[in-house]
Order: sequence, then structure tokens, then C-alpha cells
Amino acid sequence: MHSFTTARRSARLAAIALLAAGALVLTACAGSSPEPTPTATGKSDPDATLTVGLVLEPTNLDIRHTSGAALEQILVDNIYEGLVTRTQDNEITDRLASAHEISPDGLTYTFTLNEGITFHDGAALTSADVVASYQTVKSDATVQGNAEFAGVTAITAPDPTTVVITLAQPEQNFLFTLTGPAGLVFKKGDTTDLKTAENGTGPFVLKRWAKGSAITFDRFGEYWGDAATVGEVVFQYIPDFTAGVNAALDGSVDVLTAVDPNLVSQLEDSGEFRITTGRTTDKATLAFNNAKAPLNDVKVREALRLAIDHEALVEAVGAGQTQFGPIPELDPGYEDLSDLVPYDPAKAKALLKEAGHEKLDLTLTIPSFYGTTVAQVLISDFAKVGVSLEVNRVEFATWLEDVYTNHDYELSFVLHVEPRDFGNWANPDYYFNYDNAEVQKLYAQSQAEIDPDKSADLLAKAARIVSEDHAADWLYTGETLTALIPGVSGFPEDSINSRINLAGVTKTAD
Amino acid sequence: MLRYALTRGALLIAGLLVSSVVIFLTLRVLPGDVAQLIAGTQASPETVEALRESLGLNQPLIVQYLGWIGGVFRGDLGTSQLSGTSVSAELLEKSRVTVPLGLIAMTIALLIAVPFGIISALLRGRAGGTAMSVGAQAIAAVPVIWAGMILVVVFAHWLGWLPAQGFPRSGWAIPAKAFESLLLPALTIGLVEGAMLMRFVRSATLQAAGEDFVRTAAAKGLTRRQALVQHGIPAVGLSIVTVLGLQVAGIIVGSVVIEQLFTLPGIGRMLVADVGTRDLIKVQSELLVLTGFVLVIGFVVDLVHHAIDPRQREAA
Repeated sequence: MHSFTTARRSARLAAIALLAAGALVLTACAGSSPEPTPTATGKSDPDATLTVGLVLEPTNLDIRHTSGAALEQILVDNIYEGLVTRTQDNEITDRLASAHEISPDGLTYTFTLNEGITFHDGAALTSADVVASYQTVKSDATVQGNAEFAGVTAITAPDPTTVVITLAQPEQNFLFTLTGPAGLVFKKGDTTDLKTAENGTGPFVLKRWAKGSAITFDRFGEYWGDAATVGEVVFQYIPDFTAGVNAALDGSVDVLTAVDPNLVSQLEDSGEFRITTGRTTDKATLAFNNAKAPLNDVKVREALRLAIDHEALVEAVGAGQTQFGPIPELDPGYEDLSDLVPYDPAKAKALLKEAGHEKLDLTLTIPSFYGTTVAQVLISDFAKVGVSLEVNRVEFATWLEDVYTNHDYELSFVLHVEPRDFGNWANPDYYFNYDNAEVQKLYAQSQAEIDPDKSADLLAKAARIVSEDHAADWLYTGETLTALIPGVSGFPEDSINSRINLAGVTKTAD
Repeated sequence: MLRYALTRGALLIAGLLVSSVVIFLTLRVLPGDVAQLIAGTQASPETVEALRESLGLNQPLIVQYLGWIGGVFRGDLGTSQLSGTSVSAELLEKSRVTVPLGLIAMTIALLIAVPFGIISALLRGRAGGTAMSVGAQAIAAVPVIWAGMILVVVFAHWLGWLPAQGFPRSGWAIPAKAFESLLLPALTIGLVEGAMLMRFVRSATLQAAGEDFVRTAAAKGLTRRQALVQHGIPAVGLSIVTVLGLQVAGIIVGSVVIEQLFTLPGIGRMLVADVGTRDLIKVQSELLVLTGFVLVIGFVVDLVHHAIDPRQREAA
């Protein structure tokens, strides 16, 4: 799954961004930025309308069949709930379940349901609904998470408040899978058309969707847990970054997510916003086609990595952290691998010469919504070691066909936003074309390992091998910038491009 | 007249059928499909295949085409593969933005083109006329997107008179607000289209000046200018109708670009988004409706022309 949210900038509109940047330079010259306005002390208004500006609008609301961060971001925890969910730090916590227990052999998961849970249509939720939901995931190949449920052997409900799931073998990531779309609970036998309507159990109900413009949620009055602290939420979709900043400045949104780092100072200078920097698991991945010459030569891949000045790249992008292996800091198995590829253009040149490529022409295939910064930095870094890079900008659908499905590419750039997706490196059929038996074995072991710490150690070991093989370059781990007006508090900061949990957000009365 | 209308009508239907085939085949050339987009990159190939089957994407092209065009003939524009909503319902909803946008743009274009076109023709050979004509040529050459950006900078950023983007969430519930948000985009299209139209009005007026009936009027004692205003310009009106029909296509194209720039939830933006997501049934129907719209306007213009202009009637 890929995020459109972080870098959707239409090339056609680059010029207007330039104009804005020009204006920005002028204002920056005018003097130091004013002190940020102190947080308003007004009382929070329980019936407030919170308007949130977002970049990418979902294509439909059917989270069972449609993948995409845009959908998960707003629906999970707000409209739909699963037995378990995850915090901003990617920790797993109980949600519909009041408790869960994993048998010592790691094969049996027993969940106890909270009491008094009702669907938005008023029906009470029982374990039968959970069983029906999960059995659909298991049996219907078109449902999200179907592949992750392959190891499930039985889903049963011994009584109305207990659900028992049995696995064929231990699976370290199974509980985490349940925090995603696969784990959401739908009413048994529901006939709601999920593409345009909903019947979840969350603290909000869908009020209206004006396609191409906004989605509105209302507080669900009969919510089983703590009631939502705002009366209404409007997700305002503004696909262009500059337009989003304009909307924030003219007061039409209270919160602007995915602020372009290059435009953030405009908001800061206004003195009307608080900017938060959130951690993510977005891996800005420069994929190498490991099966295609000349990238099937490890020396070439290493040379390309050594040629990239990662610190400078992060600075150019404007937000993010360097990352030198396949696992980001928020995921289990993270390890600092910066010593593997210190910036060293001279060594890169030497390696390329050794490999017989003093001059090399490569093509980078990149979805068009990612802006131009990354490609520009790579062109200039690679040019210094004698590699000329041609950039092939394509629509995302084209990228999916050419790069992802047909593996027809040399270099590719995409933000992989999915947390805990190391499995892609253990899958030789994935578009990286990376095939290492040792990594596959270690990954399988890490999944079968019951002890989370031991499992993480195995992952770290596998991740080190992938990085030593230079199977790809991880340009940076993404960070997400959010601008908030002072009256808003409790808005999540981390991982919000995959989950915006609105339960505790408050807004003061104006 | 009836024979002419029937022949012309048959041509219209043939044109639509040919367009439908062209639209259908052109879209099939695009790489990527909606099933992969729905399933995402974590999905197994089996999942994608199952989705493809449930969406009817693995049927032979001819079956897909006949299914689509058959529906269109029954008045059913189909269902979006992605959102599951009726295409006609969504077109209707989006037209609440695009149609007013087009109408306002057209009005602005006419308000610019007709007076300035005639005046610049009357001032032919003088400095003022030349300046107008050169100015129109320059504006007509400006890409719509560039004009839009300039207008945003001037009217939204510097002067702060008009909103730079968006359409009210409540739609037309507060008409003044909705109108306000359409003004800048409409002005953008209207200026550029108006400049093009103005050059046409000017040359049509000049051409009329050379016609026999104007010269006859002048010979009867009117000044050259009086003759042109009283007898020449009414004749120009007819040809403006024709060109206006053609302008509709220009305004539709303009709206695709402008709706992106101003974040307007209209047909143009919907079209761009749907192409990007390979929601092909939707794109097909949308393009067919737009093509049909332009063809029908051409048809109506031709009929009107035929009915009014005696020369054409004789020719038929």
C-alpha cells in the first residue's frame, strides 16, 4: 500500500508553488517569525465541528475490499472497530475486546468482548458478528487481509462474549493483522452497501459524503465507550498542497494534515498555527530491480547507495529521518545500520569501475504525485559518480502495471507506508526481485517465534542481511507535518497517514 | 428542411457510435487496471484475479464493449467500478458545478468579445484598434492554467476579494457563496475564450463591411460606420452562434484544467481522477456524454443556421 498523502503534487501546479515560494521568501525577509500564539484557554465545546484538511480522498468507503491509507486513515477506530487496535506508537491494545489471551503454544487466541456494544443501526454486537466477519476474511479472496488469514484454522464463539481463533502454526504478526482492515467487525448478514454507507460500531457515524469535496461524520450518541468529544468532524479533501495551505490560512480548516515541508513556514509565519511533526513507518524506498542487469550486480547496487548523500536528501525533502535498512524505527527489528553505507562517492566510483561501468545510464520510474525533489537529488548525486539517471514519471496505475506487476523497471521510487511489511523482502515474487534463502528462513522463524523480543532479534538479523546485500536503498523514513489552530487539542501526531483516531480530540468554542 | 434534419441526425448518431468505439479502445491501451488499484500492493495475485473477475475485467473486449454501449442505449450509463455509484447520478451532481461554470464563462467571453470585437473593427487602422487586436491575440495565446494562476495571485492573494480555491460544502444552498467561488475560475476561462472569440467577431465584422448589402446601404446615404452598425452587424450575429457552438468544446477542455487549479468538484476534475484510477466504465460514459454534448450542439447550430440562412436552404 502506498501513500498518496505525503507527496501528491501535480506537476502542472508546480509553477504556482514556485510563486508561493517566492512570496514566502519575501515574507521571510520581512523579519523573524512572530511568537506562536499561546494555546487558547477557552473551554472545549462538546458540540464543536472539527474541520480536518486531507490530501487524498478515498475512492469508496468499502474498507473490506479496497486498500489504501486514505480509507483506513478515517474509518478505522472512528467508524469501524476491531477486537484490537494500535496506538500511535504501533503498540497493540484491546478495543472491542476487553481482554485477549494467547495460549503458550501461540496457536489459540481467546478474546473477551466488551459489554453494551451496538452497531450504528442499533443492533447489539455479539461474538457471532465477529465470527461471521472473520470467516468472510478467511473465505473470500477479494476481502482485504485474506492472505494474512491463510494460517487460521478455526474461528469460533463458545459464548456470546467470547471469540476463539486457532492458528495452524504460531504467527507473530497475526495480532497486528487484526489491528488492520482484516480485523474490523461488521454485522452478521448486513445488507448495507459498504461502498457508500456504513454500519460500524465506532464513536462516529457517517453523515454525508460530497464526492470530490468532503466527508462528514457525526457523533454516535449510543457509543458503548467514551463519547466523542466533538459533535461533528468534516474531512475536507484538498488535493493540492498550496491550496491546502491557502485553505488553512483563510480559516476554512482547523487542522491541516500532510503539510508540504516546503510550505510549512507560511503557516508558521502566520502565527496562527501549531505545527506537529509525527513519526511514521513510511519507507521512502529506492527499489533496485535485483534481477535485471546491471542492478543484479551487488557492486553496482552498493555503489549507488554510497553515492547518495542521505543527510542532504532529508534536508532537501524537508522532513524525515535517515534510514539505512528495511525496518523503520517504529517497527520491531529496527537497528541503526548507518555504518553499512556511509556517504562515499569516491568508493562508489571505484566500485562501478570494478564492475565495469565507468559510465552508466539508468532509468527511475516514479509515480507522478511524488513531486520532483527526490528525483532531482538523485540525478545530481548519481551524476557525480558517472551514472546518468533518466526519470520516468508515470501515473500510479501505470506504476502498478509496469513496476509492481510486470517488474519492468530498473530503479523505482515509492513510499511504502504499511507498517511491519518486512515480509516483502522474504518474498522472491515481490517487485524487488530479491531472492535470499537465508532472509526467507529468518523471516519464517521470526514469524513462528512466540516471544516478541526473540522474534524482533530474528527480524533485525534478516534486515541486516537485506541491507548488506544492498537490495534497495532506503532514502528516508517519512515524517508527517500537521498544522493545528490553537483551539484544537488531543489531535494525534504520529502515524496519522494511516490512522486518525479522533476519539479524544477537543475544540474550544470560538 | 426535414430531409436535411434527418440526414444531419443520422450523421450525429454515426458520429456518436464511432466516438464510442474510439473512446472504448483508447482507454484499453492505458496500462494498469482498477482491480490492482483496489487490491493494493499487499494483496496476493489471487485476490487481484478474484477482484478482476468480479468486476468483469477479464471478459473479452467485445463483450465489455457491448455490455457498456447496450446499457447506454437503454439510458444506463453504468456503475462506477470503484465507488459502486451510478455514473449518471454523479455526472448530474458534478454538472451543478461545471454547467454554471461554463455558462458564466460563456457570458464573460461574450461580454468581452462582442463589444470589443466590433469596436476594434470600427477602429480598424487606428492605433486603438490595432492595440485591441494585438492585445486579444496575446491573451488568446495565454494557456488557461497560466491565466488562472495570475488571477489567483492578483484577486485572491493580493486583493483578497475572491476565494482562491474550493466550492462551498453546502453546494448551492447559499447561492452567493457558490457564485463567488465560481467567479475567478469562470473569469479565467472567459478571458481566454473571450479573446479568441473577439478576434473572430472582429474579422466577421470586417468581412461584413465588405459585403454588397453594406455597400448598398452606404450608397443610399449612410456613413460607412452607420451602414456597418445597422446592416452589417446583425449579419455577424449568425456566424457568432456557429462559433459559440465550437467554443463549448473549448470551455469543456478549459474546465478540466481550471477545476484542477481551483479544486472545484466538477466534471473536469472527476474525469481526471477517474482516468487516474482507471475507473474505465465511468470514464467511458463521461467522455461519451461530453462528446455527445458537443456533437448535439453542433447539430442544433447547423439546424438553426439552415433554418435562418436562405443561402443554405437553397443549397440543400
